[in-house]
This record gives sequence, C-alpha cells and structure tokens, in this order.
Amino acid sequence: MTIRDEHIFEATKDLYSWALRRVPDDTKAALSRARETETNETARKTLNMMLHSAMAAESADRYVCSDAGVPVYVVRIGTKADWNANIKSAIRAGFEHLVETIDPPLLKHVTNPLTLERGYHGKDMPIITYDLIEDADYIEIVCSPKALGSGRWAAMELFTFPTLETIETYILDVAIKAGSQHCPPTVMGVGIGGTFDYCAKMAKEGTLREIGQPHPEPMVAAMEKRLYDAVNQLGYGPMGTGGDTTVLGVHINYAAGHGFTPVAVEFNCWINRRSIARIHSDGRIERLE
Amino acid sequence: MRNITLPATRADVADLKLGDMVTLSGPIVVTAGIPTHHRIIDCIESGKPTPIDLQESAFFHLGSYSQETENGFEILYMNPTTSTRFNDLMPRIIRHFGLRCIGGKGGLDAECAKALGEVGGVYLSFLGGGAPIISSAIRQIRQVAWDDLISHYRLVELEVEALGPLTVAIDAQGRSLYQDIDETAAAKRAGILEQLARQRAATQ
Repeated sequence: MTIRDEHIFEATKDLYSWALRRVPDDTKAALSRARETETNETARKTLNMMLHSAMAAESADRYVCSDAGVPVYVVRIGTKADWNANIKSAIRAGFEHLVETIDPPLLKHVTNPLTLERGYHGKDMPIITYDLIEDADYIEIVCSPKALGSGRWAAMELFTFPTLETIETYILDVAIKAGSQHCPPTVMGVGIGGTFDYCAKMAKEGTLREIGQPHPEPMVAAMEKRLYDAVNQLGYGPMGTGGDTTVLGVHINYAAGHGFTPVAVEFNCWINRRSIARIHSDGRIERLE
Repeated sequence: MRNITLPATRADVADLKLGDMVTLSGPIVVTAGIPTHHRIIDCIESGKPTPIDLQESAFFHLGSYSQETENGFEILYMNPTTSTRFNDLMPRIIRHFGLRCIGGKGGLDAECAKALGEVGGVYLSFLGGGAPIISSAIRQIRQVAWDDLISHYRLVELEVEALGPLTVAIDAQGRSLYQDIDETAAAKRAGILEQLARQRAATQ
C-alpha cells in the first residue's frame, strides 16, 4: 500500500480538531510543576484554572480557546516513505472538509491582510511548510493553529556580529514587550543565525519542541536555562497578573550564517496547541499527539 | 470567593483589591471586534443610543460563537480576547457610559486605568484558553445586536451565573496590576541582565 491523498486528507482534518481540544501532555505536566513551585497565590489559582480548563475541554470534547487561529501545517516527508499523493491539495481539501463539518463550528479568523475581511478561506491557506526526514519510511504532519493572542508578539531583528550579550538582551526585551498580553506562561521559540527566512523557521520549530527537552549542545542548553530563569524573574506570571511562571520553556535553535545574524522569537500561549500524526507507508495514521 | 450581582453599583466594586478573584452573576455585554468599538464611538458622537444599553454595565472583550436557531440565538462558546487592542478606544467608552466592570485578557493601559478610576469601574482578567469554564456560566442570551458583523464582532448581551473566577487587575481607584508588573519588570531588567552576564562568564 502507498500513502495517498485520502490519508493526508484524513490526518489533516483530524489534526486541527485535536489541536483545538487537547492541551499536549508535556504542557499539562509543565503547568502542574509550575503550580507546585509558584509562590504567588493568585498565580497558583490561575494555573489551577488552566489545568481545569484543559481537562474540561478534553472530557467534554470542546475547544480550549474560542480562537481557532489559522491552520498551520508542517509536513515532514520521510525520504524512504512510499507515497504518491498531491499533498498540498489534499491538505487544503482536508481543511475545507473540517470547516464544513466541525462541531461546534469555528469562528471566522482567516483574514485578508489587505482588506481585513475575515472568513474561513484565504490566499495560501492553510499555511504549509515542507521538510524531509532522512531514511524515515513515513510522513509526519504537525498542526499548529496560530492566533493573534500569542502570534502578535513574535519579533525578529538583524544584528551584525552580535555578542551573546546582545542576543540575550534582545530576547529578554521581546519578552518584556509581550508582557502580560500573550496568555502566559508561554513557550518561547528562538532562532539565531542562518538567513532571515531560515531564522524564523528555527524559532517556529522551537515552539514545537517538547517542553523539557534541552538543545543537544551544552552551550545552547545552558543559554536556554539561563533565559528561562531570566524571563520568569520578570514577574508577569500566568495570564500576566503576576507570578513566577511567565514561560514554560525557552527553546533555542541556531544555524551558521554570515556576519549578519537574525534573531527571531516566537511564542506559543499556555495551551501550546500542537498535534502530530504519523502516516505510515501502509496508510495507517498514528496519532503521536 | 465573592460573587457580585450585576448590574453592580459603584459601592459594589469600590473595595475590590488587585489580585482578588470574583465571580459575576447577571447581565453582561460582550464583543471582540474593533469595528464594534468604532460603532459604539459613532453612537457616542452622533448621540444615538447603542442597540444594547451600556450605561454602568459590565462590558467584556469576549469573543463568542452565536448562531440563530428557531428559538432565537444560541451561544456555543466564548472566551476572552486581548484587551490592549482597544486601548485607544476604551477611555472614551468607559467615561461615556460609566462602565462598572470591563475585562478580557492582557489588560489595558494607563489612560484606561485613569478613566476607570474616574467612573469607579474595575477591569477583570479572564482566563485565556478558558472557553469550557467561561462558556458554562451562560444562562441566557438576552440580545444579539449588529448581527451583520461576523459572530465574535457582534454586540451580545448575556445572562451569566457565577462567571469566573475573574482576577481584579485594575481597581476602582485606577490602580493597575499591569502597570505595577510592567514597572517592576522594567526595574528588574538591569539586574537580570547582570545575572545573565555572570552566568555566561561562568560557563565560558
């Protein structure tokens, strides 16, 4: 059997729906840990409400947030996968089907940036990026619905031969600018280096990394740890009403570049929407998250 | 936890303290739309009444999915949106209607806090990503106005019971948790940067 359009279609519509209704396990665990260590009483209660909301959504099969965001899919194609599918049009069809059938219906969030008209459809929607996984015999699709609430606070700057001090100051200042507004505690994805477009992609990948998985290089892992502590010391807290828990993880990716060094920062709000399916070469769809 | 019955008087909210958590029962008006705020401002400027009375009301930045059924409108879910998007529009609305309770998530700026202090109103922080909790407080849809707009932009009046818990984030004297936290963060910044420098030096 071969991976065909219908498998991509199935995975696409299910992934979006799952992402809206279920807070990932790593995120719930991080919120639980934060609840144990948080010293601000209001913040502890807010963390408790977050966990309660996550569980209520899951058990009642409802949305955690009313803002379904826009559909964003990352497709990772195994180079040894057996596939013969029009991936792009199958994803588009999967999303169209979801919009027509999902219960309860979605709010209209897809926005034409030139006219501000909002609906379910729009140019280049869903947003899809593609990657290869060497030697894998499956296709993985990640769904990461993205909304204004946290999306608005992403930022990017280009430096020339920056020191680590310059880079870390910038990252801290982006967190300060977002302040109380992006439904903290967030996951911060950071990209450093590469080119403009590649840097933004690395930041995005950072937001998708499992919480508690440090970067494999000790130097970067140490940077993640000290920035995590630094951002949490700012005191914004859960929902920005004060506390020790402003960020659940700082996930940094870097790439070599030229002397110009882009630094990109992106946030996922506390519900950290992310769902992943693996489509095996026999057509079987495995839900990873 | 204190439950406030709406409509609330100035005295009902006067002693609420920053960080207190409350629930609300009674009528509230919600919208998540900038165009809706513009229409409200148009009403103020032209002297026309708003389709739903906002005088001393509880007015929240909540997006809701409303749909028309045989028995009128029903709300399937609702959740807060970022209030700071309405910073420029809210002072005038707060002052004109003497809003008693406003809210959403992410807070409002100093000018809005000042306006709240003048009229004796409070800002309440809702849980973002709290749709299951927040939606379960809805008891009745009273009115849906401006239904030519997309669902979450409409002006909707609802009856709620024990809506919350909501965190008092700007009090009736105009004191703001957001302003306090922003100032504290700004004051801590230099020390945090020094700490980062020390940690970098220790690992190199």
